[in-house]
Amino acid sequence: MFPQFGATAETLSKASTIMFRIGTDAHLYDDPEDVNIAPLLDSKFDSEKCEALKRLLALIAQGFDVSNFFPQVVKNVASQSLEVKKLVYLYLLHYAEKRPNEALLSINSFQKDLGDTNPLVRAWALRTMAGIRLHVIAPLVLVAVGKCARDPSVYVRKCAANALPKLHDLQQEEHSSTIEEIVGMLLSDHSPGVVGAAAAAFNSICPNNYSLIGRNYRRLCEVLPDVEEWGQIVLIGILLRYAIARHGLVKKSIMFSLHGKESPQSEKDSSDVEFSLEKDNGTMDWKYNSELASLVSRCYIEGPDEYLSRSSYGNRMFSEFHDYKFISAKSNDNLMILLHCTSPLLWSNNSAVVLAAAGVHWIMAPREDVKRIVKPLLFLLRSSSSSKYVVLCNIQVFAKAMPSLFAPHFEDFFIISSDSYQIKALKLEILCSITTESSISSIFKEFQDYVRDPDRRFAADTVAAIGLCAQRLPKMANTFLEGLLALTRQELLTSEFGSIEGEAGVLVQVLTSIKSIIKQDPPDHEKVVIQVVHSLDEIKVPAARAIVIWMMGEYSNLGEMLPRMVTTVLKYLAWSFPSEALETKLQILNTSVKVLLGAKEEDLWTSKKVVSYVLELAEVDLNYDVRDRARFLKKIVSSKLGSQEVKDDMIYPPQKEDLPHVLAECILRAQTQQLSLEPINYRIYLPGSLSQIVLHAAPGYEPLPKPCSVLHDEHSPETNKLGEGTDGSGSLSGSSDEETVSDYSSERSVTDSDGDDGSDETGSASENGNDVDPLIQVSDIGDTHINQNGVPQSASTDLGEMMSKRALESWLDEQPDMSNPSASGQSQVHRSSARISIKDIGSRVKPKSYELLDPANGNGLKVDYSFSSEISSISPLLVGVEVSFENRSTENISEVTLVDEESNKASDSAECSLTSHSDVPVLVPMEDITFLEPGQRTKRTLHVRFHHHLLPLKLALYCNGKKLSVKLRPDIGYFVKPLPMEVEAFTDKESHLRGMFEYVRSCTFTHHIEELNKDKEMGDMLTRDKILLVCETIAVQMLSNANVFLVSVDMPVAANLDDASGLCLRFSSEILSNSIPCLITITAEGKCIEPLNISIKVNCEETVFGLNLLNRIVNFLS
Amino acid sequence: MLQCIFLLSDSGEIMLEKQLTGHRVDRSICDWFWNQAISQGDSFKQQPVIASPTHYLFQILREGITFLACTQVEMPPLMAIEFLCRVADVLSDYLEGLNEDLIKDNFVIVYELLDEMIDNGFPLTTEPNILREMIAPPNIVSKMLSVVTGNSSNVSDTLPGATASCVPWRTTDIKYANNEVYVDLVEEMDAIINRDGALVKCEIYGEVKVNSHITGVPELTLSFTNPSILNDVRFHPCVRFRPWESHQILSFVPPDGQFKLMSYRVKKLKSIPIYVKPQLTSDAGTCRINLMVGIKNDPGKTIDSITVQFQLPPSILSADLTSNHGVVNILSNKMCTWSIDRIPKDRTPSLSGTMVLETGVERLHVFPIFQLGFRIQGVALSGLQIDKLELKVVPNRLYKGFRASTRGGLYEVRS
Repeated sequence: MFPQFGATAETLSKASTIMFRIGTDAHLYDDPEDVNIAPLLDSKFDSEKCEALKRLLALIAQGFDVSNFFPQVVKNVASQSLEVKKLVYLYLLHYAEKRPNEALLSINSFQKDLGDTNPLVRAWALRTMAGIRLHVIAPLVLVAVGKCARDPSVYVRKCAANALPKLHDLQQEEHSSTIEEIVGMLLSDHSPGVVGAAAAAFNSICPNNYSLIGRNYRRLCEVLPDVEEWGQIVLIGILLRYAIARHGLVKKSIMFSLHGKESPQSEKDSSDVEFSLEKDNGTMDWKYNSELASLVSRCYIEGPDEYLSRSSYGNRMFSEFHDYKFISAKSNDNLMILLHCTSPLLWSNNSAVVLAAAGVHWIMAPREDVKRIVKPLLFLLRSSSSSKYVVLCNIQVFAKAMPSLFAPHFEDFFIISSDSYQIKALKLEILCSITTESSISSIFKEFQDYVRDPDRRFAADTVAAIGLCAQRLPKMANTFLEGLLALTRQELLTSEFGSIEGEAGVLVQVLTSIKSIIKQDPPDHEKVVIQVVHSLDEIKVPAARAIVIWMMGEYSNLGEMLPRMVTTVLKYLAWSFPSEALETKLQILNTSVKVLLGAKEEDLWTSKKVVSYVLELAEVDLNYDVRDRARFLKKIVSSKLGSQEVKDDMIYPPQKEDLPHVLAECILRAQTQQLSLEPINYRIYLPGSLSQIVLHAAPGYEPLPKPCSVLHDEHSPETNKLGEGTDGSGSLSGSSDEETVSDYSSERSVTDSDGDDGSDETGSASENGNDVDPLIQVSDIGDTHINQNGVPQSASTDLGEMMSKRALESWLDEQPDMSNPSASGQSQVHRSSARISIKDIGSRVKPKSYELLDPANGNGLKVDYSFSSEISSISPLLVGVEVSFENRSTENISEVTLVDEESNKASDSAECSLTSHSDVPVLVPMEDITFLEPGQRTKRTLHVRFHHHLLPLKLALYCNGKKLSVKLRPDIGYFVKPLPMEVEAFTDKESHLRGMFEYVRSCTFTHHIEELNKDKEMGDMLTRDKILLVCETIAVQMLSNANVFLVSVDMPVAANLDDASGLCLRFSSEILSNSIPCLITITAEGKCIEPLNISIKVNCEETVFGLNLLNRIVNFLS
Repeated sequence: MLQCIFLLSDSGEIMLEKQLTGHRVDRSICDWFWNQAISQGDSFKQQPVIASPTHYLFQILREGITFLACTQVEMPPLMAIEFLCRVADVLSDYLEGLNEDLIKDNFVIVYELLDEMIDNGFPLTTEPNILREMIAPPNIVSKMLSVVTGNSSNVSDTLPGATASCVPWRTTDIKYANNEVYVDLVEEMDAIINRDGALVKCEIYGEVKVNSHITGVPELTLSFTNPSILNDVRFHPCVRFRPWESHQILSFVPPDGQFKLMSYRVKKLKSIPIYVKPQLTSDAGTCRINLMVGIKNDPGKTIDSITVQFQLPPSILSADLTSNHGVVNILSNKMCTWSIDRIPKDRTPSLSGTMVLETGVERLHVFPIFQLGFRIQGVALSGLQIDKLELKVVPNRLYKGFRASTRGGLYEVRS
């Protein structure tokens, strides 16, 4: 790409290393495509497969798209060879998102591997399965993670922790509570290695769920030194946040300084500490850093953007911080333990750990203890230059806020030639802010060396730093000035020919520094001004000349010598005016007028002459700025000049003196104010954060939580159920909001950030999620409110149509005869004669109704929906949804309509390929309901195209002209339609769909027990057969929840009437969108009167759909 | 967390890309990076943290290879940098060096290593000893084997025992016929001598390197006679903190093989072994240089591999340098190296010569900085001494060895 770099080196090394390349994979990288890869992948030898995969990896490394090999590669996932497996995984992880459908083919193999005895295989399978990030398999991954989180192998548990953020990334709200639950479980793992990974997961999933930490706080602190290094970094941050949110800030810590200003008592306290630390520092210095320290602490808590924008109104009132609870670290064990456990980490080999631990001490430790972070931080400067830079950025803030910390260690910031410019500049700035009177002489000596640095930009910076140091230590000003003047002379010599780049910059900087030093105490430095002005002739750089000329004008009245030489210099300037550069010309104009205004009697005449000469020259200058300036100045000083066209004004000499003169005085001769130290507006972020380096808040940056914002004591029962724990966090953040709201009403509360979108759903999900398999949370959210009026009728008629007579014939009422040997001796598939009426079962089939809009949110409008088994005539992709509107309020509701909110959401979901039929509308528009009286109820049938059978569809509901957004959750059971078939056809089809198209799960079925009990109460035990009843209940459950066709019922042959083992129901259906058949078989086992073990088998070519359907069935049957 | 890692060659070619999370990073970020590097020059390449328009980039440069990691969200930057350093360490350890060809030749191993070292953007296994057991480093035998049989697997099929143990840096079932443990004190001397010839700063950066081959799970304790001279310390994770806090004793279960037990710093030293006296005078467009090197404080052992390196100031057009001992070499980028090796007994090595300045420049105003390199075997200049090394359970046939050496580190003489 860039042949100018290292081209020769490359050819050379190629020749020399050719020998060593034998036996490596070099040829694969160089010519990955010199053989046909495809046949190798299908080879039966592992070595050939390996070679093919390596070639593919080489192509990936070089940036080629080889996703077209995906199907062939996926096949190899089942290979026994670990190397092949690993290579396949590497390939899969790279492309899975691009080819979701094919990636699913690998799922079965992962499932198998998860049960392997080798922990390495289990871990790899889990990592890859979670890593391919497909929404559809998220439920499976969640189950796998849950299982692996209890694995005996530490390594597998660690991988489980790492897999959690991958799941969380898919943003499936319904799983979030389960994920958090697993995080909590892993956080309390007994192996430190797992805890570290769990901490990382916690940080990216639920960083504000303090209840999870609160439960384990002490243990986490104690285990901290044993956690592996990367986990330590994250865990330290988590514990710090928790400690502040729970226990507040520490008295006498750096964070306390802002408070120290308020009460005199603590002022004394903290300043005592400060002075004992830096005995030889002036009071001004102390003030300086206390202001900064308060800025620091404020920025940590509020984030600089917020704080600075607020303070720009001049409102630096601290009132709202009064309520922060400050506690003394010595009295609080919980804080002590954190400090105690992080202090050995300051010796860690990992620089990130050291910096994180130092951050905790900086924020939490009492001031006198903060100094223990100094040496470890300085030691970090001996590591790689990259980390050096980051560490210095952090030290810079520490040193500015508390110079006394680093003041004795100034030698560590001396520059060496191998430092990069950025590092040099940082060191210089730190040196500037930590100089004290005792160290300044050594530092100044160093500075003198730096001025000769080959990097002239840095030399210029050094000169600027000298100027800054002089401002901090006025006593040294003379020494500095001498040095600077010597430098000017030297610079003048070298830049005589103006040939050297960068010298000009140094010279300008030297003069700027001189200027700033003189400004502090002009009378003292009169001689310096004279000296500089003397060298004016030798100074060639325009910017530098301008500065000298400015100084001359500014101090023209100073002392004895200067006023006398001013006119001479002015003449010289007037003479050189035409040949000057722009900025010098402007400055000459200003200065000459200043001199004129301040001129004494004897010089007045000369000055006038010179000024009018210069002004005239300037008025015809080529540059318009110069011309404008000249005209402006001429008007202002016209009186003083006694100019040529004054005749008329002569009558009023006193007045003429007045206005313009005063104006001129004001503008040009007003005493330049001694600038106080410029307002401190540094952007300060938490130590060790990325934001602190790039100096803006990176996405995801969060300032520290508000002190004591978590009031709940979470230490209580350790046995607290996890589900309740997460609920607790919801209420917890809520309550803390209320607590904080009065105090920080204008600010966004940190604590509620995890609450709103998650809590209501997770809450309801965890209600039934406690003892139930997590998979069922897919779509079971919302009220299971059964609509009693309208729906059943329609459903029963639908069912009548749907279940063909033929099918129902097999459903027969002949169970009393079942024990009849002749019947049971035959094939169990065919049964005849007696029948149950359609109504009998039909009336019991009640499609579930879900709530779309709660009357509380919709001003009394209640909207429910249920899926209808009616097949849309418009397009096979549409699912029929029956929506019922009911007005529960006392007022009329008008203009109710339901439309699609945003139609293009599907494009970013990974599965768009599944449903990319954009010609079909998302929602077939329904007729508007123009009017709904109180208590009135209306129904509409919608035809909806869901983007995906798991993802909810966002709809907008308009009523009374207002827009409400609602979510329509799909039910996978209605993404199929009945596919009538004979039982032979069924078994035939089933035999074609074995292997990876077959999925089985089992669950416990208990619905029939209710029925049995009901029967018992009615006392007609004898009239109904138990097995029949079981059959019926299963069928009703199936038919009420899915749009399927009942193919056959196999009855058990056992003599025992009570034994339902062998009962088998078959249902068939086809997927709406692609008409792929989907066969469902349910077999039961166990006694009729007891909960039955039923196993459900789904055979379907569409793997994902089948799996999800299976999960759904298990969900509603159990 | 990190989203992607790229390995770039010194010509800007992307040798490898490893996506870590679902948020893919397009390769075009590397083009952006490289264009910036070309337009902004060295100062950009030395910036470890870069905010690009779309991502935050972390970079480290090792042996001409740029390791570039990308993220879009807040994360501790040192964590990323430290991790990249570890990757570079592990790779150069595995490949016995680090250059473009080595990485390309072993790209499969690099991929496998990266995959094991980081999972979903968070470091997974970084302990070199464990990695070695999971992924076998390439060696002559396996190379030959693969040539002969066309078949080689470097992926271990079992999980190293250490991942499950409470000492994650050590496998439990190690057996040796001869038990050995070697302790090396490797020190580097950093010094700054300023323009006036005064010693501004002199300190030692040292490492205690241990090479242990001991059966079972040994418990070692190492103590120093004078631990109080240590200014700062950093430890390998195996070192227990408490014994050090209370008695300044290193108590640890060592990893198997070579590792860095601790690093330390000794500050404010007063004596340097070698002096360098530069003299530069310039007038009328030429500059005379005279450089003398000699022993200042004899450390008692021979000093060898002495080199003096300096960058000629940019205003120098040509230089003619000769020495009475050793070899002088000037590279095209004006880097001058004088290799002395040992200082002869009979004379003091000196380098002298004249340099021609650019036209228009009368005198030199930017002076070179001389970097001194040397090596002393058998002595630790900091004065640190090992008191004793003890094993809790002494195996039969144990050999303990101690060594010390000092090198020139950041040793600079300004002129």
